[in-house]
Amino acid sequence: MNEVPARATTVRRWIESVDGMYHLSEGDWTERLRVLDEWCREIGDDPDRVIASARASRDAKNEYMRSLKRFARERHPAGRAAHDAENVVRSFFIHNGARVFVRPYES
Amino acid sequence: MATVEQAQVLTGQDFYRVCGLRRSIRWYKTWKPVEREKIQRILEVVRVTGSSPGNLQPWRAVVVEQAKLPREKRERLLRADNMQGGHVLAPVWIYWFGDMSVVRPEVFKRRLGEMIDAGSAPTAHGWSREVMDALVDHGEEAPEGLPALNEIAFQMRPEFPAQAAYSETVGAAVVGLLAAVNEGLGTSLCMPAAPSKAHIVREELRVPDTWLPVWLQLVGYPAEDAEAGGQRPRLPFEEIFFEGDATAVFQRDPRVVRDLERAGLLGAPAPTPGRFDELKRLAQMFGYPI
Repeated sequence: MNEVPARATTVRRWIESVDGMYHLSEGDWTERLRVLDEWCREIGDDPDRVIASARASRDAKNEYMRSLKRFARERHPAGRAAHDAENVVRSFFIHNGARVFVRPYES
Repeated sequence: MATVEQAQVLTGQDFYRVCGLRRSIRWYKTWKPVEREKIQRILEVVRVTGSSPGNLQPWRAVVVEQAKLPREKRERLLRADNMQGGHVLAPVWIYWFGDMSVVRPEVFKRRLGEMIDAGSAPTAHGWSREVMDALVDHGEEAPEGLPALNEIAFQMRPEFPAQAAYSETVGAAVVGLLAAVNEGLGTSLCMPAAPSKAHIVREELRVPDTWLPVWLQLVGYPAEDAEAGGQRPRLPFEEIFFEGDATAVFQRDPRVVRDLERAGLLGAPAPTPGRFDELKRLAQMFGYPI
């Protein structure tokens, strides 16, 4: 697991909440934490501050979602991988009580 | 040569099993259309089964096939309801409306007149057209044996038509749920629109101003197991049912409970083993976060 985001309170809460229902494998978590870590580095923020801001301000949350979309598309220009990468971070938001919009694959 | 169409023999499921399988299904096979005859049968069941005071029948429905919608119209209808997950996935949307315009004294009178002619409202109980006229047109006091229609006709509160149209349509939509389960379909009721966005549904479906949006019934083949993770949490029988007055619990006979378990009405409570694995699989298949 990536040590940097895994130490954050919000990340621990995310892992506990998801694993309380879905029991993801260690490999799944390694990948999810990598995506979250990369996105946090991209926006120059840490997980706890992201959640605090997103829950306090709708504008801040919307800006995070826009940056998330850009981040995912830059890394995965084609196919469903961008959607999947977005979903990792959306899951992090949802399990920390932030309201985010979710949609299925386009097709 | 003339051909004779062979009548189809319809066989439904056992009533207890239908009730026992009723769930709010939120995952649908988006790729599998629903046969038109199944939708018609749902509507036919509601038409003959719905019960309403004075036989007003205020329910109206608009059936929408998601795949046939122009992209912009589909998006507006989905956004009116905040893009609820089940709504996005369900192939068929039945919008249920309550028509306030039928909750009027003259319609009461007309419908009740039909009931008298049909032998439903019996003269033996005191019903007659003359009595209807006296109660509804002249506000004369209802005799014992008949409902106080004079009060409805002459003391109708302004909000009553909307309340009556709404509540009776709720009942009809619930019948629609059971009819859909009987067809082997998944179904659920959800808000047709956020109250602030109800006008979008009215505009897109071109319904009269007197039609209140009541429920949106989602219909499709379930992508989840028919048990959908087990029966949802229900309040204990003893908390909600009473006998004689509200201080005495209706005594539940364990033998009846056992019979209903065997008949399929009472099943395993949610979440059944494997439910969250199923949800994980569904989320991954459709592209939702877990």
